[in-house]
Amino acid sequence: MKKKTLAAVAMAAAGVLALAACGSGSDTEATSAATSAAAGGAEDITLWLMGTDTPDALIDYLKTTYADENGGTLTVEQIAWQDAISSLTTALPDATNTPDVTEVGNTQSATFTTVGAFMDISDMYDELGGDSLLQGFVEAGSVGDTKYALPYYFGSRMVWYRKDLYAAAGVEVPTTLAEYTEVNKAMKDAGIAGSYTAGQDWRSGISWIFANGGDIATFDGSEWAATLESPEAVTGMEMWQDLYTETSVAGPTDNDSTAYQAINDGFLAGTPAASTLAPNWAYWSLGDLSQNDAGETVATWNDDTFGAYALPGLDGGIAPVFAGGSNIAISAATQHEEGAKTLMRIIFSEAYQTMLAENGLGPANLDYADAYTSVAAMGEIGLEAAQGAKLTPAAPGWAAVEEAGLMEEYFQKVAEGGDVASLAAEYDAKIDALING
Amino acid sequence: MRRSIGRGLGAALALVLAVMWVFPVYWMINSSFLSAATISSLKPTFVPFGGTFTNYRNVFTDSGFMAALGMSLIVTAIALVICIAVAFLGALAISRFRFRGRKALVLAIILVQMLPAEAMFIAQYKMISGLGLLNSIAGVSIIYVAMVVPFTMWMLRGFVAGVPADLEEAAMIDGCTRMQAFMRITFPLLAPGLVASGVFAFLQVWNEFALASIILTSDSSQTLPLWLRNFAQPSSLGMIEWGQVMAGSTLVAVPVIVFFLVVQSRMTQGLVGGAVKG
Amino acid sequence: MSTIAPTPAAEAARPVVRRRRRFTSLPYLLGLPAVLTLAVGMGYPLYWQVLNSFREYGLAQQFGQAPTFVGLQNYIDLLTDSGFWTVLLKSIAFMAVTASATMVVGIAVAVLMKHVPGWSRIVLQVGLLLAWAMPIVAQMTVWNWLIDDRNGVFNYLLSLLPGLDLTGHNWLVNPWSFFGVASVIITWASVPFVALSVYAGLTQVSEEVQEAAQLDGAGGFTMLRHIIMPILRPILVILLLLQLIWDLRVYAQIELLQGFGARGSQYDLLGTYIYGLGVGQGHFGVAAAAAMLVMVFTIALSWFYVRELLKEDES
Repeated sequence: MKKKTLAAVAMAAAGVLALAACGSGSDTEATSAATSAAAGGAEDITLWLMGTDTPDALIDYLKTTYADENGGTLTVEQIAWQDAISSLTTALPDATNTPDVTEVGNTQSATFTTVGAFMDISDMYDELGGDSLLQGFVEAGSVGDTKYALPYYFGSRMVWYRKDLYAAAGVEVPTTLAEYTEVNKAMKDAGIAGSYTAGQDWRSGISWIFANGGDIATFDGSEWAATLESPEAVTGMEMWQDLYTETSVAGPTDNDSTAYQAINDGFLAGTPAASTLAPNWAYWSLGDLSQNDAGETVATWNDDTFGAYALPGLDGGIAPVFAGGSNIAISAATQHEEGAKTLMRIIFSEAYQTMLAENGLGPANLDYADAYTSVAAMGEIGLEAAQGAKLTPAAPGWAAVEEAGLMEEYFQKVAEGGDVASLAAEYDAKIDALING
Repeated sequence: MRRSIGRGLGAALALVLAVMWVFPVYWMINSSFLSAATISSLKPTFVPFGGTFTNYRNVFTDSGFMAALGMSLIVTAIALVICIAVAFLGALAISRFRFRGRKALVLAIILVQMLPAEAMFIAQYKMISGLGLLNSIAGVSIIYVAMVVPFTMWMLRGFVAGVPADLEEAAMIDGCTRMQAFMRITFPLLAPGLVASGVFAFLQVWNEFALASIILTSDSSQTLPLWLRNFAQPSSLGMIEWGQVMAGSTLVAVPVIVFFLVVQSRMTQGLVGGAVKG
Repeated sequence: MSTIAPTPAAEAARPVVRRRRRFTSLPYLLGLPAVLTLAVGMGYPLYWQVLNSFREYGLAQQFGQAPTFVGLQNYIDLLTDSGFWTVLLKSIAFMAVTASATMVVGIAVAVLMKHVPGWSRIVLQVGLLLAWAMPIVAQMTVWNWLIDDRNGVFNYLLSLLPGLDLTGHNWLVNPWSFFGVASVIITWASVPFVALSVYAGLTQVSEEVQEAAQLDGAGGFTMLRHIIMPILRPILVILLLLQLIWDLRVYAQIELLQGFGARGSQYDLLGTYIYGLGVGQGHFGVAAAAAMLVMVFTIALSWFYVRELLKEDES
């Protein structure tokens, strides 16, 4: 189902895609000449993509281009995000069944790079974009100077809002973080709308910690240690708690999976949400709802009622947000090194990066961010937000922390009104137990 | 007089209970015929009049459904046949004979059911992968057979013990060979028991999804529960399209309901004949 | 036929065995496929699990580093971890509540079926059968739709009651409510099996014997104790044992419910806890040790019933 709705999105973008593919034709040929010289012969390889974020049109492009350049067949398998860790853990070390190339959540990269699951691709780094690649993600996929996983796409969170509801309550777009709470509180008190501050959505809520100068964990040169207890982080969390209690129309166990379209009409039973934090690709999910021929609900963006702005910082400017997205890497156990490398070259080619950008997925290579800002919806705000974006700790045990759901728990308990300082201490201890692997 | 009032009340209570147990099933079927617009209204619709088949059309056109249905049917059929055969022979051994190691075997099949399976997934993956059977029907069947044999064998044991060996003896005296006696006398008496145990094995295999999610990673080798679990995820619009999801659930449940209806009389016989007799 | 006189049947089997002594290899041949199946399907995983419960086996080992033997360290870590005990006690409590609810409701339904007119019994039987036939994933999906916070029918119906407004109430937030929902769903799903089996047992109680006993002046209690229980007891023992095992190691329902509602350790029972520890966080050694401990606790909790079964098996 999810796949289909995204496919519809991809269809919508297909017209633009075709043009883009023509425009960059010469570039692709150059790549193919380089690879066919290096490749020994046709190799059938497998690419794992996580979830259904990569639209079908892009997958088809990868398949045909790979067949053209290598002669072999590219099989693309979509692994549900919920099965991502278990599938990677079991399949990556298994030479006969490993995917040759795999997408991996950026926050999960560190865990796999530190145990040697991915192939060292430092020698390809410059060829694939080098320093033009989004550096935060490159670091998440590196151990020291050795590059293992490179950025695939990114999305930075921004505030999506309802112009009509803001107008009805007579409030303006906030310019500081404190104002964000005030604006939403004013709407909530007037009974018009609230903010969709989901209790378990730490990926959005973490901005309040970042904005106050706090962090999740720091590295002292030998060990990672959680820092939720720091005064900055506690202040930020208290601010978020205030935002939750005063303005939220979401529940304590809601998470970011529903934040995308929280401000659509009829999404909530009671008071509607007028503001929500979501990545830039939420654009495709927001708007006036209608039924298409297949009986599915589709959203059509409406500039009169919907808008977006970057989350404002503590004293104006923009707040650092969490950079969502994923990395891509070659499995250390691959038997098809050349094929896998060819696929990496295709993925990092201008043509493919441009396609990503046009689908609202931030391109790994910032040289193509122009296309992103000019073509992708809200690209400008997205890029603005991306510049201040931060990642989760690149610690070996970070995936375990995520898999254990510790951050979700911490935020939920704060949302439920718990004492921030003591909860911070409790969860620092829990995170410390896992974060060093 | 008092008795008939009591029976009337009892009947009423039975009907209330029947409604309680059927309601979720009814609601699933009801919702599967409602359009997305009807279903998203805050006021529930209790009867699917003026309903639509769109949801079912969407399920059938979903790329994964037919493949998953085929996969589930094949895996279940294979696992079921092997499991019944193996468990039946095993049940004969432990219920008709006393032999050295019998007690250990009986204890083993009870204890093995108490082992949490969740910690063995990695090892099972390694084993299946080592055999080169990942994403294959054979691979998943091997694990499933081993998973259901202990319980099936335990259940069948009760049935076999329930068929008096005298009958077989008598037939042998009448000139039948041992095999003939068994096939003509004992086997027919065991049929309901085989059906009842088969139902359990069927349900266990048909329902399994945790292990499947690890050893069936390829899109083309999903089983129905895996397919449904992914299908029930919110769309990119974040909404669960309940009409479609319920149509999917209905279709996953239909083979089981059909199976139950087909074997229903035998199964009831089986339960009566001492299905769960110790 | 068999259950009316189970003991003679079992006794009859014994002389037969004596007469067949020369076929001593036959039982082994018959049992061989079962043993082989278990050895092939379970042997290696079980060996791996036992071995690694004594080793440090994490992600690094999964990716090629040599595992180190750590003796009982994994076990000690678990037994001194309050998190493990919390989950264990929660699971036992969950099992106790769910298994007893299932047994009580199941037996009550069976008794009811025995005493109501035929047509209403058939309606009830079909209802139970339909619920029983629901695959777990479908079950959980449907229940999740019933209790959906936005427009689930459950909240709608409850809100019709005066003074109650549950519009938008999410049943899966509060852990008590979460486990309550899980318990109700599992009970709903397990009652058909219990009810139909107990009913099958009750139909074995011969009417004539009951009437004769009544004529002899036997009261309800005497009847229950001397006529009904002897037939029902073995059925109840195995049903209880099964509920105990199934409800203690419940995994699928909790995992699916977490998928619909919320994840987090407060919503964990043993199954999801072990899965998270192993596959999720990559601590395979510790997860293996946890599984072994759970097995030991299950055996301890159910030993009484297992012994009962074995005794019966011997007779």
